[in-house]
Amino acid sequence: MSTKGTRIPDWLTVPFAGITPAPSQEKGQDLFPTGNWRSIRPVYRDKLPPCNNACGTNEKIQGYLDLVKRGKYLDAYALIKEDMPFPSVTGRVCYHPCEQACNRGQYDEAISIRAVERFLGDLGQALTHDVVKAGKPNGKKVAVVGSGPAGHSAAYQLARLGYKVTILEKSPKAGGLNRGGIPDWVLPQDVLDREIERLVELGITIKTNCEVGKDVSWDELKKNYDACVLAVGLTEPNSVRAEGENKAGVLYGLPFLRDIGMGTSKVKLGPRVAVIGGGNTAIDCAREALRQGAVEVTMITVEANPKEMPAVPEDLHDMVEEGVDLMHGRAVTAVLGNGKVEALQLHPARFSGAINASPITVDKDAPAQRFAVDNVIIAVGQHASLAWLPAEFKNERGTIKIDRFGRLGDTKFFAAGDIVQLGSGQPLMVVNAVGDGKRVAFNLDKVLRGEALQPRTIPIDVIVDLNRMNMTYFPHFPRVQQTLLPPVSRRRTQDEVIQALTEEQAVEEASRCFSCGTCNACDNCYLVCPEPCIARPERSNGLYKILVDYCKGCRVCIEECPTGCLEGVPELDFDTGVVRMDTAFAISPGLHGRQAEELRKLGDRPAKNI
Amino acid sequence: MATIEVQRQILPILGSPNQGARFYNPELPSSEPFVPGHRTCAGCGPSIQYRMTSKAAGDNTILVGPTGCMYVANSSYLCTPYNVPWAHTQIGSAGSFTAGVAAAYEAMIRKGKWKGEFPNIICEAGDGSASDIGLASISGALYRNHDCLIICYDNEQYANTGIQASSRTPYGGMTTFSPPGPLVPEGKKLFPKDLARMMAAGHPHCYVATASVGYPIDLMNKVRKGLNHKGAAYLMVYTPCQKGFVYETPRSIDLGRLVVECGLYPMWEWNPEKRAYDYSFRPASMRPVSEYLKLQGRFGHLHAEHIASLQKFANEQWRMLGVQLPEALIQAADAKNLVNMASAAQAEAVAQTI
Amino acid sequence: MATTSVSKKRMVRINGCVASAQAAKYADVDVIAAYPIRPYTATMMALAQMVANGELDAEYIVADSEHSQLSIAHGAASAGARVFTGSSGVGVQFAYELYSPISGSRMPVQMMIADRTLDPPGDFGSEHTDALSTRDMGWIMGWSCDAQEAFDNHLIAYRIGEDPRVLLPQMVCQDGFFVSHITGDVELPDAGQVKEFLPPYKHPYPLDPRHPVSHGPQIMPEQGPPLQLERARAMEESMAVIEQAHEEFEKIFGRKYDPWLEEFMTDDAEVVFFLQGAHAVTARFAIKHMRDKGLKVGMVRLRTIRPYPTDRVNEVLSKFKVVGVIETNMGLGSVSSGGSLYAEVCAALYESQKRPLILSFMAGMGGEAIVLKEFYWMTQKMVDAQKRGKIEKRTHWVGFEE
Repeated sequence: MSTKGTRIPDWLTVPFAGITPAPSQEKGQDLFPTGNWRSIRPVYRDKLPPCNNACGTNEKIQGYLDLVKRGKYLDAYALIKEDMPFPSVTGRVCYHPCEQACNRGQYDEAISIRAVERFLGDLGQALTHDVVKAGKPNGKKVAVVGSGPAGHSAAYQLARLGYKVTILEKSPKAGGLNRGGIPDWVLPQDVLDREIERLVELGITIKTNCEVGKDVSWDELKKNYDACVLAVGLTEPNSVRAEGENKAGVLYGLPFLRDIGMGTSKVKLGPRVAVIGGGNTAIDCAREALRQGAVEVTMITVEANPKEMPAVPEDLHDMVEEGVDLMHGRAVTAVLGNGKVEALQLHPARFSGAINASPITVDKDAPAQRFAVDNVIIAVGQHASLAWLPAEFKNERGTIKIDRFGRLGDTKFFAAGDIVQLGSGQPLMVVNAVGDGKRVAFNLDKVLRGEALQPRTIPIDVIVDLNRMNMTYFPHFPRVQQTLLPPVSRRRTQDEVIQALTEEQAVEEASRCFSCGTCNACDNCYLVCPEPCIARPERSNGLYKILVDYCKGCRVCIEECPTGCLEGVPELDFDTGVVRMDTAFAISPGLHGRQAEELRKLGDRPAKNI
Repeated sequence: MATIEVQRQILPILGSPNQGARFYNPELPSSEPFVPGHRTCAGCGPSIQYRMTSKAAGDNTILVGPTGCMYVANSSYLCTPYNVPWAHTQIGSAGSFTAGVAAAYEAMIRKGKWKGEFPNIICEAGDGSASDIGLASISGALYRNHDCLIICYDNEQYANTGIQASSRTPYGGMTTFSPPGPLVPEGKKLFPKDLARMMAAGHPHCYVATASVGYPIDLMNKVRKGLNHKGAAYLMVYTPCQKGFVYETPRSIDLGRLVVECGLYPMWEWNPEKRAYDYSFRPASMRPVSEYLKLQGRFGHLHAEHIASLQKFANEQWRMLGVQLPEALIQAADAKNLVNMASAAQAEAVAQTI
Repeated sequence: MATTSVSKKRMVRINGCVASAQAAKYADVDVIAAYPIRPYTATMMALAQMVANGELDAEYIVADSEHSQLSIAHGAASAGARVFTGSSGVGVQFAYELYSPISGSRMPVQMMIADRTLDPPGDFGSEHTDALSTRDMGWIMGWSCDAQEAFDNHLIAYRIGEDPRVLLPQMVCQDGFFVSHITGDVELPDAGQVKEFLPPYKHPYPLDPRHPVSHGPQIMPEQGPPLQLERARAMEESMAVIEQAHEEFEKIFGRKYDPWLEEFMTDDAEVVFFLQGAHAVTARFAIKHMRDKGLKVGMVRLRTIRPYPTDRVNEVLSKFKVVGVIETNMGLGSVSSGGSLYAEVCAALYESQKRPLILSFMAGMGGEAIVLKEFYWMTQKMVDAQKRGKIEKRTHWVGFEE
């Protein structure tokens, strides 16, 4: 017997006929840790999508669009509520800087983010109990002065943090600019009412008809509360500094809208109305004028053409569609009439600087133009009314002086919203006020807990370059358009002009999102990895694990990542004595014996469930 | 004779990821029949194909691996990446070994010797095995209609032996058996065998399709259609070989798309019920072949007339699919409009006119 | 089930091919891989009819080549099925690639071979070269000399090959025409006997999705030798199993075979023929004839050539003065410039203290019968050598020399 006396050493013990048991699904096999072939390692690094970055309150827009497209509406609503107390409001009124920043705009058309936000907001409105709950009471009391967007946001966030919040509102109804500055046909009152109710549900006390400086003093605020947020907004309309501006029939934009909003308006417009100003409030006024009985409405702007107007293009479009005329490059130099406005004196004018907030140059030498009107609505901005504020906290812009954390000196007073943002370079938009209120609330919390304050975090990497993403995965697809009431039927009615998206439309629109720079659990890397060494315990954003023991660094996953959230980082410098191929063929001692043993035990193993 | 009826699996077809505006892959099964730790090259196309195929097939699967890269580099003794049964067979035995496994399960289930649903039996043959040495055995398995799926992972060459030409190597492709030289400037002089059509024409009762790693869900669905088809099915899958094609590893999937967009790898399905080709697959765009060629070192030696020949070949493929050719592609088949690969910029200019 | 129609023991008159087919039926094989080539093809014809009649429940596959036949057999056995296949002549050669993989993966595939001369030229007659050329591939291999033995050998071979201590493929060979196409009396057993003798096939590690394993992976150079050593051990250790199987067979079926060597009239023989297969039948007749003339001649027939019973061959053949190897195979340029069996005999006797003289006879070539006159001629050559005390030359082409 030639094989008699032969002995196979333990380290070479042979599993039967070389038959090798299957590896485990969790661990893979352990003989060839091919990871040491790699010179570049793929890593997940979420970048900031441009929409999140552009949003005044940094809503996790990509995040909730992703949830909507997977049908997880309630999760999406909860996510939006992190940063935005009233998506039903902003879903209607926001001037959506996110959509202007949307990368999809460079590809075909931007995502209709606001429409999806409204879809979620309306969903939240219908809930019996809101998903957001007040925080565990911490025993501290905070006053929030003003119930506009900034005050609403600050109060909301503070309540979530466990503060006992009292809102002081000078008007008979809470809502501030949301109620007084936005017409019903954009934001129906009951929608706002429901959002105010939500605040009460959070345990917030709202005191209306309570004006700071009149009903409550600075010292009382200081004494009765642990801290205070001043979100009083800009309440006083700007004048055009024209001769005869005090004549009857001259109205100012915000008070005009506010009185209608509060139901206290006594205005009766004549058939011919001029609106002075080229901004969004002016547009709202012009459109409201049509609904208030005006027959001919003309908007007179300094801007030389519609493109220069600091207004949202679609609102401008809707306004023109409703029949408002535009007159460009004119400034009002006098209001003519005998006690009551009869006509306007106009002169050619232009902005002397590059931006439309710069001083106006009026060509007084040119022949004056007479423009007959019955009413004129002046909507050229607002300023603050701060008589009650100690002088040390006022600044040269006529607003509240704060540090970069929103704090008034080293007091426990904070300020937020238009009252601090006017002239600061920040746009005066609802969403910016909300963001400001939120950040200030967080800072207030930090101050009261004695933690270090942080300025607003600066995004490190906003992904705006489509080359960093893989566009092959995105078919061109048109934006879902929201239905509008027909222009003829809009006059003389307060019905909402813009209609909500249906569920299917919302999902379709959310599906258009590129999810720029952020893992959206699309499974592509998981599917295309040749090893495959991308593990996925469960399908969830950013929960993919790269098994670096095996990844060979081919970078197919990076190339094929549609959203650009994967990137390559160089591995260690292998010139420093690491033998890269070493373990690729190294057989660990005892492995044969172990494998043989495993094979012998194969019959005892529970059968794989198939 | 008392026999037990053989129960067969029906795997659901995965939803298309690009339905409407969405990009989000459909829910994939969680089982991993193919795990990491094998020694294929980084970015290996056949390995990507293996991953997708096994994922689509699931756990009740048996894999057959005739000699080729997926045997040599994958199935290492004492450590194997296959989490389902896998067996090596000889390079010429692709179809026959698979047929044996399928026949065994038919008999064993029928005779009550094995209990359970009929497993998915998949043969993963390289193009050397499938188009050359094992052609007859595969044809035999298809003809006899064993319930199995035979996949040709087509990397257009014998790769693990050190890049030799197979009958699937494209015209102009440089391999160690078809090197370019002064007398043979184009390298490979022959156009490839139209293997998949040969299989469809010769075995019309089988489900036959072509696929590419560039279209993962399409590939996985074709795998499932092939497995669901009662009887034999055949799939030819484009799987780029980084080592043989000489390209940057991240482009593996990209090449899988480009080869289809350039008309060099027509995608179709043969419907055995209707006895007809289904040409409904359309890539997102049509491109000149130079866009595909310029990414690969194996075509780096080509002259204008060779590129034109390849374009002519691609144009014929488009016509077979019933596609109207844009003027620019017709122009690109004329060598006068092209330059050598070395200065492909002008070719790109042609591309941009499309 | 398949064997209901054959449950009772009975005698039939069938040829070797049909006997083989009957054996496959009694073994209740699951997969049959067929491809036509004469003369073995009659076995597959018979099996096809059995499957068509419903006598046997098996997958009957008409392969596209012998290479495919063996691959199908390999695949089916790997999946856990009992497999039957076969071939003849160049068909055996066409499948050559598969012999080592099948034994290396330890799949007890059974292959019936009805020998046929290799090309050229086209010749249907029997020469053992086809099967013998594969003798070192790790298959258990032996020759039958009549239909009954063929039937029995198939069952015995399954029992040996599928034994968990062995797990090796088997080639059950019979001479083309002499066995395959000549009818003889065959006792078909009771199904219960077969069931008792041959337990169901169970490979320990089949291709079963519930217990996944990989068959036949690539190895590192140092991992090869232990695998080969393991295969060599299995071959050697099969010898005990072979002996046990034959004993068991005798107990159940009542027919006794020496597993290695059949000795015929060797008790006082001085010169013996050493051969395999069907020529034993004519040899027995010739030896009786020569015995009547007073020649002290006998016959030793090798029943199992792989594993080769070296010690038994040594022990038995050392008793004689001269051994004449009847080759019936071609070993071009081999040790004896004749056939390849000579070398096997010489090697077994090398360590013997009483080495007989050894001659190689190229007889029965091309499927010719070896006639009485030729047996006399060969015996004369052996007797001459015995007298002379040495051989004249190693190889004689019988019929072509004076």
